[in-house]
Amino acid sequence: MKTLNISRDVRRVSGIRFHIQAFTAMVYRQLVRFTRARSRLINAFTMPIIWLVFFGLGWASAFNRLGPVARMLFKGLSYIEYLIPGLVLMSAFTGGLISGLAIIFDREFGYLKELLVTPASRPISLLGRLVGDSIVATIQSTIMLIILMVVTEYTNILGFIAMIGIMLVTSLLASTIGASLALSMASPEGFQAIVNLITMPMIFLSGAFYPLDTLKPPLSILATINPLTHPVQLARWAMYGVIEEPLSLAIVGTIVYTLIFTILATVKYRRTYVA
Amino acid sequence: MEYVIIAEKLSKRYGIIEAVRGVSFRIRRGEIYGFLGPNGAGKTTTLGMLTTIIKPTSGEAYVAGYSITKEPWKVRERIGVVFQDPTVDKNLTALENMVIHGLMYGIPRREAKRRALELLEFVGLKGFANVQVKKFSGGMIRRLEIARALMNTPEILFLDEPTIGLDPQSRAKVWEVIRRLRREGVTIFLTTHYMDEAEKLCDRVAIIDHGVIIAEGNPEKLKSLIGSDLIYVEANGEVKDIIRRLSDYGEVKIGRNMITLKVKDAPSILPEIVKIFYKTGIPIRSIKYSRPSLDDVFLYLTGRRLRDEEGDWRTFARLRFRRRFR
Repeated sequence: MKTLNISRDVRRVSGIRFHIQAFTAMVYRQLVRFTRARSRLINAFTMPIIWLVFFGLGWASAFNRLGPVARMLFKGLSYIEYLIPGLVLMSAFTGGLISGLAIIFDREFGYLKELLVTPASRPISLLGRLVGDSIVATIQSTIMLIILMVVTEYTNILGFIAMIGIMLVTSLLASTIGASLALSMASPEGFQAIVNLITMPMIFLSGAFYPLDTLKPPLSILATINPLTHPVQLARWAMYGVIEEPLSLAIVGTIVYTLIFTILATVKYRRTYVA
Repeated sequence: MEYVIIAEKLSKRYGIIEAVRGVSFRIRRGEIYGFLGPNGAGKTTTLGMLTTIIKPTSGEAYVAGYSITKEPWKVRERIGVVFQDPTVDKNLTALENMVIHGLMYGIPRREAKRRALELLEFVGLKGFANVQVKKFSGGMIRRLEIARALMNTPEILFLDEPTIGLDPQSRAKVWEVIRRLRREGVTIFLTTHYMDEAEKLCDRVAIIDHGVIIAEGNPEKLKSLIGSDLIYVEANGEVKDIIRRLSDYGEVKIGRNMITLKVKDAPSILPEIVKIFYKTGIPIRSIKYSRPSLDDVFLYLTGRRLRDEEGDWRTFARLRFRRRFR
């Protein structure tokens, strides 16, 4: 140990540079945490693979019996092709929701206090961590997408690039939903319960597994207001040019929902006190 | 006199429980100010309000010149905080924890890294800079957190129960760090339920109980509330004769074989007492003296001992409960 002039001034940046720095610090933290927990990587794409094999292949062979009728039902795609954009976005979505769980864990393990007591802008630091988590979720679902592309011999590079953007936005949407929930919940159990309650209906009603145009009200209405519907439609359009709602609605829906939940989460975070 | 913390009638109510009931105090630049009280007295809640993470129900405080309710971010820029429970990211290394903290305070990355290494050396953790914090002991985490809280050269350092749950060795190391910070002129606000910690470290102590400050002052002054030292002499034989001579020095009480003498300053009188016994030929079996501790002060003010709270299962249950819902 040596003596140290504690009070010697440190250089500090302010304004926009400070914001950028706080933002990247939080992105960096989430990425480092990800590299330290490799099990998350495996975990994230086993579920959709399980879905693909045990759900997708089963139904695909059943639909094959129907022949051309099935192709008509799935807008000219084979069932597996129809399923791929949905499964990939399911991975991005559930990966993003985990961001909310990370906030809950930070609260349980005390790190949230450390963040709340810093002078960095709350909305900026929250966005930083959400974007960090979204990047992680995007990496995970990209790995999955590549596996599925190889399996189905998909070769459209433009579709692949567009998918990366869509996965990023979808996981950001999911992470803002997760954060909004996490910041409203008192306990991890409560958060888990709500997430389990909403995830399944949201995924099923997004058009990931079956066409939406056969649905009748009120399910068809629920499908339209489901935030996940629009990115799923966008993804299928990007990969195969197939879409079941107007393209403009898919784009606007995706962006608007992401903005709404971003605002909701940041407002909640800004007002967060420990007690 | 320059005050860096001014608290005015700070109160916090949780439902029907009033955790803090209108505390007011002022802390001068460069002093170590301690909040001493049993668990549940409102120490942590007060610290939470001063560090802007708990919103006061009523009252106001100015920390480093800024209102904690109106300009909390200006307060945050100027303080360092070590909370009672660890607030490190255990998946990150010590250095990563420090650098991210620095970035969140606006310190550029390169400078943050340099300062982090300096501070890690200051708390004796330089060799562990690149070790994940999950491998650290409780004492190391505490020192890491103190180092981290110093990243932004805070005007005031807040320490909530800095040595709770630490073994004696780690405790001594944390004290050493705090003492060296005092020499550096850092203002420190700490809470503790250890009277020896308050006595040894603090320039001034506020004794808090049930959310109210019941006494405030430097430890010596507080102890003078009790008034005096006590000398205990255990002797064989006829002691009646010398009582008259002893009573010149202070109030005398006789137990079975024990004479208790209440005096102003025990160490200076002790040799005189021994001399009296020697002259009268009465052998002394043992002689000792005690000075009043802050625990005696607490007992005097509340009728309870600080220590009674420790090991009490209800306290334990309450602590568990609070930790769970924090």
